[in-house]
Amino acid sequence: MMSTRLINFTLNGESVSTAIEPHRNLVELLQRFDLFGARESCGQGLCGCCTVLVDGKAVSGCLYFAVWVDGKDITTIEALDADGQLSPLQQAFVDTAAFQCGYCTPGFILMAQQLLEENPNPSDDDIRHYLSGNLCRCGTYPEVIEAVKAAAKR
Amino acid sequence: MIPFEMVEPTSLKEALSLLDPQEPTIRPVAGGTALMLMMKAGVFTPTRLVCLHRIEPDFSRIALTDNGELRIGAMATLRELELDSNVRSRLPVLARAMRTLSSVRVRNVARVGGALAHGDPHMDLPPVLTALGARLSITGPNGSRELPLEQLYVGYYETVLEKTDLITAVTVPPLNGRKAAYMKVTSRTADDWPSLGVAVTFAVADGRISDPIVVVSAATEKVTRMSAAERALQGAAPDDADLRRAADAAADEVETLSDAHGSAPYKRELLRVYLRRAVRQALDGSGH
Repeated sequence: MMSTRLINFTLNGESVSTAIEPHRNLVELLQRFDLFGARESCGQGLCGCCTVLVDGKAVSGCLYFAVWVDGKDITTIEALDADGQLSPLQQAFVDTAAFQCGYCTPGFILMAQQLLEENPNPSDDDIRHYLSGNLCRCGTYPEVIEAVKAAAKR
Repeated sequence: MIPFEMVEPTSLKEALSLLDPQEPTIRPVAGGTALMLMMKAGVFTPTRLVCLHRIEPDFSRIALTDNGELRIGAMATLRELELDSNVRSRLPVLARAMRTLSSVRVRNVARVGGALAHGDPHMDLPPVLTALGARLSITGPNGSRELPLEQLYVGYYETVLEKTDLITAVTVPPLNGRKAAYMKVTSRTADDWPSLGVAVTFAVADGRISDPIVVVSAATEKVTRMSAAERALQGAAPDDADLRRAADAAADEVETLSDAHGSAPYKRELLRVYLRRAVRQALDGSGH
């Protein structure tokens, strides 16, 4: 067996450390911390269900080696309502019914949050382009666009 | 994925020393987004990955040189390239191509050098940069050299790079008024791997096309310059008849491959249509 490596990183505001093998990806790492909001679905970076923020930038957790988060700041969907309050985007998704099964929702919300940070007043076209790498098998795309626009106004 | 060793050198020299000229299971890794796909598919099973992140600060700068060329560090992310102010103002065709190059997440992680060295003909950056006349800076155990990007690809996932070579930068000359466009055709989502990529650059003199460079990707086994199409475009008036002649020349000269993104005859027809569209997009400025 190949050896594990000790990594230290910040996870949703808390300093943590763990030993992990180089062939594990970021989604597998998060599961060790009982965080299941990032899900490996397509496993190819195409669907967005595994979205995680690394040093404030969205990555596909299924295509990111776990050892690479050493020294970095990791934010998952679980951080957004850590104070017991839904974030404005989460509330907007609820208000516009922008999901059915909810499997893809954490990825959509983290990506939409990043979009609004970069572009606080996005057009429909901007939203479509930014979220083109997030797939929803329930087909809630129109509601997702409504939710992002609603959150942008708040 | 099955276990392997990951080493993280802190200098280019150390990185080169950890590669092996004879060992195909040892490879450098930049962003890893393409390599991990190969590993998950079982196509590539490494014994050692040489991670380049610790030398990244020295090789991720994007800057203009004194003679107006854009020098892009190989470890710059695709997203940094997309948002760079010089890229946006001087090579907008490049920034535009990024919009449908995979997702924002992949662009946040994938590196320019990796996207060029990987050799997958479905990638978007190689055809665009080839049409722009880009040159690579490569360092190996015996020193550094320059190579026109056009000469990098020799086959399906095959490049002229040795196993101990690393791309350190790519240099793109200024457009100097040349028109440029890149069009990709996908059969599923807009940011998917394409069925066809076609990049064109050319000058316009007295209403006629001159010095065209035409590059096809994805539909072929490697990124390929289309010399017959270029000859047909040289001196052409950008009207339907001349563009049709060039598109027919393009469709006749390359061998298209069937895969999950379309059959060979379908891709040949796509090339015929999209070569004309790319020239028109370059001309009306929307392709810039």
